[in-house]
Amino acid sequence: MEEKVLTKNFGVKNSHRIDVYLERGGYQAVQKALQMDPDKILEEVKAANLRGRGGAGFPAGVKLGFVPKEVEKPKYLCANADEGEPGTFKDRYIMTHDPHLLIEGMIIISYCVGIHKAYVYIRGEYEHIAQQLEKALSEAYDKNYLGQNILNSGFDLDVFIHRGAGAYICGEETGLLESLEGKRGYPRLKPPFPAAIGLFQCPTVINNVETLSNIPQVILKGAQWFVNKGLPKDGGTRIFSVSGMVEKPGVYECPVGTSLKDIIYEYAGGLKEGKKLKAVIPGGLSAPILKPDEIDVPMDFDSLMEAGSMLGSASVMVIDQEKPILDVLRVISDFYSHESCGQCTPCRIGNSWINKIIHRLYREKGKKEDLDKIIRLASNMKGKTLCPLGDAAALPILSLTQKFREELETYTES
Amino acid sequence: MKLTINGKQIEVEGPKTLLEAARENDISIPSLCDHPRLSPFSGCRLCLVKIKGRKGYMPSCSTYAEEGMEVQTQSPQLKKLRKQIMEFILSEHPNACLICREKENCDEYKSTLRKVGEVTGCVLCPNNGRCELQDVVEELNIKRVSFPSQYRELEVKKRDPFFDQNYNLCILCGRCVRVCHEVRGNSVLTFSYRGTKTVVGTVLDLPHTETGCQFCGACVDVCPTGALTERELKYEGLPQRMEPAICGLCSMGCELQINLREGRLLNSLPSDQGVVNQGQACVKGRFTLKDILYSQERLLRPMIRRNKHLEEVDWDEALDYVAEGLGQYKGEKVALFSSTQLGCEDGYISQKFAQEALKTGNIGTPAVFFPVQSLKRLAQNHGFELDLNFRMDQISEAKTVFLVGTDVPLTHPIIWLELLKALQKGARFIYLSPNEFEINRHADQWIQNKPGTESYVLNFLSRLILQGSSTSQDISEREGFHTFKNSLENFPLEKAPSITGVSEKQLKEAAEILGGKSPKAILFGGAFSQVRWRNQNLSALWNLSLLTQAGLYPLDLDSNSRGMEVIHGRSFDLGQSFNRIVQNLSSGKIKALYQMGPVPLPQKIKTNFRVFQDSFLNAQREQADALLPASTFLEREGIFVNAEGRVQKTSPVLPPMGDSRPDWWILSQLAQRMGVSGFKYKKTSQVRKELGENIPELNSASSSRLKEKEVFLKEEKKGPKKFLPVQLKETPAKPTREYPYLMMVEGSQDYYRNFHLSEKIKGFRMIRDVHWLYISPQDAEKLELKENQPVKVESTKGKMSRKVKISTSVLSGTVKTSFNWDEPSDSLINFDSSLFPAIQVVPVRIKRGE
Ligand SMILES: Cc1cc2nc3c(=O)[nH]c(=O)nc-3n(C[C@H](O)[C@H](O)[C@H](O)COP(=O)(O)O)c2cc1C
Ligand code: SF4
Ligand code: SF4
Ligand code: SF4
Ligand code: SF4
Ligand code: SF4
Ligand code: FES
Repeated sequence: MEEKVLTKNFGVKNSHRIDVYLERGGYQAVQKALQMDPDKILEEVKAANLRGRGGAGFPAGVKLGFVPKEVEKPKYLCANADEGEPGTFKDRYIMTHDPHLLIEGMIIISYCVGIHKAYVYIRGEYEHIAQQLEKALSEAYDKNYLGQNILNSGFDLDVFIHRGAGAYICGEETGLLESLEGKRGYPRLKPPFPAAIGLFQCPTVINNVETLSNIPQVILKGAQWFVNKGLPKDGGTRIFSVSGMVEKPGVYECPVGTSLKDIIYEYAGGLKEGKKLKAVIPGGLSAPILKPDEIDVPMDFDSLMEAGSMLGSASVMVIDQEKPILDVLRVISDFYSHESCGQCTPCRIGNSWINKIIHRLYREKGKKEDLDKIIRLASNMKGKTLCPLGDAAALPILSLTQKFREELETYTES
Repeated sequence: MKLTINGKQIEVEGPKTLLEAARENDISIPSLCDHPRLSPFSGCRLCLVKIKGRKGYMPSCSTYAEEGMEVQTQSPQLKKLRKQIMEFILSEHPNACLICREKENCDEYKSTLRKVGEVTGCVLCPNNGRCELQDVVEELNIKRVSFPSQYRELEVKKRDPFFDQNYNLCILCGRCVRVCHEVRGNSVLTFSYRGTKTVVGTVLDLPHTETGCQFCGACVDVCPTGALTERELKYEGLPQRMEPAICGLCSMGCELQINLREGRLLNSLPSDQGVVNQGQACVKGRFTLKDILYSQERLLRPMIRRNKHLEEVDWDEALDYVAEGLGQYKGEKVALFSSTQLGCEDGYISQKFAQEALKTGNIGTPAVFFPVQSLKRLAQNHGFELDLNFRMDQISEAKTVFLVGTDVPLTHPIIWLELLKALQKGARFIYLSPNEFEINRHADQWIQNKPGTESYVLNFLSRLILQGSSTSQDISEREGFHTFKNSLENFPLEKAPSITGVSEKQLKEAAEILGGKSPKAILFGGAFSQVRWRNQNLSALWNLSLLTQAGLYPLDLDSNSRGMEVIHGRSFDLGQSFNRIVQNLSSGKIKALYQMGPVPLPQKIKTNFRVFQDSFLNAQREQADALLPASTFLEREGIFVNAEGRVQKTSPVLPPMGDSRPDWWILSQLAQRMGVSGFKYKKTSQVRKELGENIPELNSASSSRLKEKEVFLKEEKKGPKKFLPVQLKETPAKPTREYPYLMMVEGSQDYYRNFHLSEKIKGFRMIRDVHWLYISPQDAEKLELKENQPVKVESTKGKMSRKVKISTSVLSGTVKTSFNWDEPSDSLINFDSSLFPAIQVVPVRIKRGE
């Protein structure tokens, strides 16, 4: 069943305005949270088993717990609104329809950790959304949900918006931090992790927009309620971005663990005009591809991992029979070879060679070894690069080349 | 901690990366992007290793050793992996030579084939034979590359002085980017674009000359490939011999590694062992030594004037001629100017020579313009002693730094590197100067004052600090405190903006920073102490340093100014002596002059007999009766005292060129011919021994401890320090309608004896030209001046030719220039009234034309 808890304001007239938001119960979580002991909030978030919605699925509460308590330095919060993963468009819905939900989540997390400066790092192309978010911020300032002494609690918070400049790698949390500091968005070496040494060398919390937007309801309705909405180890609902050859592409909020099949056939109306399913990418472009016989899988981190893929940003891309698989492979490779930041050798040069081989298959019949070469190149990237982008490129390319080898071999000399 | 690498148990002291730990234990792991002095980058991925219990592979250059770790650096998989990575790198690199089967034969027969614009293989590459990429290819035993080569088709850049950039050879290890940013604080280089289009270079691909590059060469030194190469080295073979030497071009005293081939100097690199410079140098030590040493104008034979012409003669003849010439003018009729770039031995002999052979007290030294001598005089006048020695690392440990009046990356490059370390650790940093420096972006505050009002600013700051917080007892009980405090009443803050041009708010913020965390360092350089009102400047700064309990660091200027200053300063009042010489030269009382380096003198002096003892022919040779060739600092041994007070010994790396001889030798020979005893030295070490016995500060001059490079000038610390009364007597002349611009002048630092780098080296001139007249864009527009346009600068006292340099670093209404120490300086230097010679801040007018 589609569950509208996170998206309950979507479609409501002027839902982005603070008065509408307030009318519909907005900022009550902040009021409640500001009365709470920060440690209690942390406990609640931990208990909710809210897993990161940005891609890696790291439990949000655990990450918060990594932030050192007693430090002289300031701490920072960054909302990751870069939404660069191809096929993903849920954060933009949240920020368009319910910007105050994100702001409210940010206030609570900041209060919980003792943060007084927070940033929203927003994808460069989302210019109009950034403007709208700016308005929402000023509304929140006017009503003293932001600024000095918020609601007389003695707590101060300022939120700034920083627009990206169009690099996928700046969605990776440490690339994001570099970019936010005004530098080239090269991912940093980890450890140290941002929770200890992040923005301007200070402890920093980085969360996806959707992750943060879940916080208000966790506080208002409690961790147990949240867990009940989803799975014990993976609570709540998720906003699935569904695209490709389906009748009704769009965003759908469903409980974590909803079957992929249902998402495609029930919510998104199945394939377009009786087209037949060829493959599904279930979690953003970085996720290994699934064949039609593999789609009866619950959409949660652990189940998809077991199925050999990943939930990632929960972006479902549906590919029909008529689509040549080489096109899919090319799109993936074009993207990663273009977006490789260039810092480390295997990803920078490996991706470019994979890409060259694929493009050659369009121009002339290839050799069988070409496919092996692609696999070898991708394997040499996997687990050997500086940041996860290398894996993000290697995994889908490997899965696709292996699972659709037969079709790909038609591009080679027999 | 203990860990095992390849099954072997090793012990390391943490924190250390696995790569460092392996290297320490002679376990080799191939690496390219790592560099011992730089932060880990982990981009090349060659150094991947397997750690038991961890998923995948870890880069050993950024993974820290932990107790009990079990590390595997070799395995068939790792070998394959590294080969693949190397093949990736080589697919973007001219690789034919690297994997050529004829390699060995080729190496033997074609050693230098580099006169090509395009590098298509090692044999055509200037890096051949000193290339880390070659080493790693060797180590990994790469015999083939399974990818076709990709040529980046980037233009080879030869537009900048000193080094070329061929990014077709770049492997994107990022060392150059990191060294420039982390070690040099310059951030000239960066990565641009992404994916395979990623390149290294300057922002917007601008020439280095337009990006604030200091041409220190650090990027060239760390580059593992031929992408960045020293131009001079391109056509040269590999060095056969490497010798250490102390650079003689500024007061830092860097240790250089001099590379030699066939008895010729190839180039000079900063020595990794250098205690002072730790693998760093500056453009002068790195790129100009060859031009200096092999200058067309090297003076190689003695010359004497006969029948109105200068003639080359042998030493015998020259020495006789000079001895006879000088013999006629003793005592008050003769003067000797020594140089602050000579070794202590030379200084000692010149002192002895003047006293015993010339029987004169007329000894002049440029040290009188420099910070240490100025401060010392102030202290002597007020009857207290100073501790002037320091160690570089004191600066890197400072938490609050106040810099006054010197563009420290240019004047004291190594001090800047130490200051940068302090800043990286979070030190607060403010500087006071009418001009903006490149380092402004590192500063918490730039206090931009009207030229010449520094002492006012300092007194306002002292007053604010006194008002701000209660003064601790050890400060308030210091002698002179109450007089000082009361005299600050004359500095009401409201007056600050009109007098100094600095806002009250800024002064308050600055005072707060200065009142902040200790240790504090106050640094000042030449511009602050060479002006006429140096005493009021220095007293104000002195008081402020006592008040804030900051260390005061006078940054002296030449390679041995501190040594010469103690040697000459023992028996003379250097300042009085300098001005007396100039006056007596002008009046004709002094008839013979012996000069060992460039000295600022009035244009119209007439002498009967003038001798230049120098390494180069200079513009004044028309006035010379004799020219005696002195060898350079690379051709002889000697001890030099750097800005810290560190006594360093340097040894010759080459025999003296031509007939040139060490300065002490020339003077001793003369003395002997003049019939004076006590000058029979055979070796430098004999002079040094005698010097050690006679100059207490240098009593360690002959000590074997010099090897440890930890010997300092001996200092006697006498008596408590006291506050000085505030005395403001002088202000800079005000611009007038006729002379509407206020000109700041500084003596050039870019010279070796008579050789002026910006005059003689084109590349150097591109970076900084002594004859640039810095002028604000507004004033340039008003006067319709264009970049590089020749102009005449006129003051009431004289005129000089300069070239326009439009720069936002100067305030509108002011201009700035420097001058070579032997330029006719009447318009710049105040020789008359004050006790000390001083460089002026003068009102000028600017006219177009040569
Ligand atoms: C190449 C790359 C791109 C990424 N892009 C995004 C992104 O656009 N938005 C996002 O929220 N997370 C992105 N991530 C994940 C972030 O690194 C990080 O895990 C996330 O922001 C953490 O938030 P969460 O714990 O709330 O998911 C990306 C990761 C990688 C490796
Ligand atoms: S894996 Fe790719 S994106 Fe990540 S650091 Fe390396 S080159 Fe950059
Ligand atoms: S950089 Fe090194 S490997 Fe490359 S061509 Fe030059 S010498 Fe050969
Ligand atoms: S020469 Fe020095 S300042 Fe210039 S780019 Fe290289 S490292 Fe940076
Ligand atoms: S220019 Fe040299 S040091 Fe700089 S990235 Fe390229 S190879 Fe490395
Ligand atoms: S900093 Fe001074 S001593 Fe060091 S290399 Fe440069 S000129 Fe020579
Ligand atoms: S040396 Fe470790 S990755 Fe390059």
